[in-house]
Amino acid sequence: MTIRHHPPDDFLTGFAAGTLDLGQHVAIATHLTGCSRCRRTVRLMEHVGGSVLAEMQPTPMSDDALARVEARMDQPVMPAARIAPPRPGALDDLPELPAFVRRYAVSSWKWIAPGLRFRPIQLPTDSPTRVFLLQSAPGTAMLDHTHTGQEMTCVLRGGFQHRAGQYGPGDFDLGDSSRHHDVVVDAGEACLCLVAMHGKLRLSGLLGAIVQPFLRL
Amino acid sequence: MQADSQRASDGRHWASLIQAVAERGDRAAFASLFDHFAPLVKTFMRRSGLAEASADELAQETLLLVWRKASLFDPSTAGATAWIFTIARNLRIDAHRRGRRDGLTDAADIDAEFQIDDAPGPEANMATSQAEIRVRAALTTLSDDQRRVLELSFYEEKAHGDIARILQIPLGTVKSRLRLAMNRLRGLLGEPS
Repeated sequence: MTIRHHPPDDFLTGFAAGTLDLGQHVAIATHLTGCSRCRRTVRLMEHVGGSVLAEMQPTPMSDDALARVEARMDQPVMPAARIAPPRPGALDDLPELPAFVRRYAVSSWKWIAPGLRFRPIQLPTDSPTRVFLLQSAPGTAMLDHTHTGQEMTCVLRGGFQHRAGQYGPGDFDLGDSSRHHDVVVDAGEACLCLVAMHGKLRLSGLLGAIVQPFLRL
Repeated sequence: MQADSQRASDGRHWASLIQAVAERGDRAAFASLFDHFAPLVKTFMRRSGLAEASADELAQETLLLVWRKASLFDPSTAGATAWIFTIARNLRIDAHRRGRRDGLTDAADIDAEFQIDDAPGPEANMATSQAEIRVRAALTTLSDDQRRVLELSFYEEKAHGDIARILQIPLGTVKSRLRLAMNRLRGLLGEPS
């Protein structure tokens, strides 16, 4: 698998720093699952995080802080703190996804337009970024649309192209309000993507005007 | 360079203390780790916007997890400070999500979110035992502007738009400085950019 399109550095840094919202985190983690280059970058940035920590000015701890920790060191770990036993994941048929995402609950597939359907992934905590799977039939031309916020797309299977190039499995695409999408799905194979969408999607054109009221995209 | 060898011996020192905790529950070693790292983690939490008491508590939790997870520390894949940073980071995310409703957690679900299936291949790792030293040396070669953007990315829980406001520079400049800084780090560390 040759990955040609990677997330911008600020998202890889944000992932390592722990400052992304959960929906964005899911999209970056999905890309990392298939991309050793970006995994190396994240690991590098975690070392940078360690260096930043090491260089900080210390803030004195409360007087009894060490004693309070020592008092808890011999206590057995609380049941809530044990890692839950692995259970079958709703998305186990998608090994392209990170393990923690495969365990999330998913809604059923929903129809958007001819050749196009989506399946929301239910995040365990509120996030301003929603995540869903998007499946497009071979040769589908995506509806004209614009974004009010950022949209991250991770290609899981199949591929598409738009004016910035050809996208295949493992590739990452970032759309925002400054870009107009003119996406055409490759012929021959359905395209499955994980999409993390911040803000709203505005469909344009006649079909968009018809389906928009029924979609909570 | 003397600073480098100082960092190298620091890194080995902290790693050996974590291993002493893992191998024989060495409380004196733990106390040394606590005295050094808890005040740094507290600053990290304060800069992330947490109040004094919460920052103190989360620094305690971080070091308690260092005690409990010491056997998971592998000096061949992580430096001591990077490892402690990731524990603190995950607790901060957990606290942020729960709105500090209760203070007792090991953030296991957050840990899972950072576990990316990672089959180490021939290309997978830079020489990680040396990575910490090399990263810290590389950071000193960045311009002040680049380093500042990089640092703010970590300890302020802020979007890059906020960093732009703090530094009073355009968002595009934040992003380009970050990209330059990261390309330079990758170059210095022999990573393809």
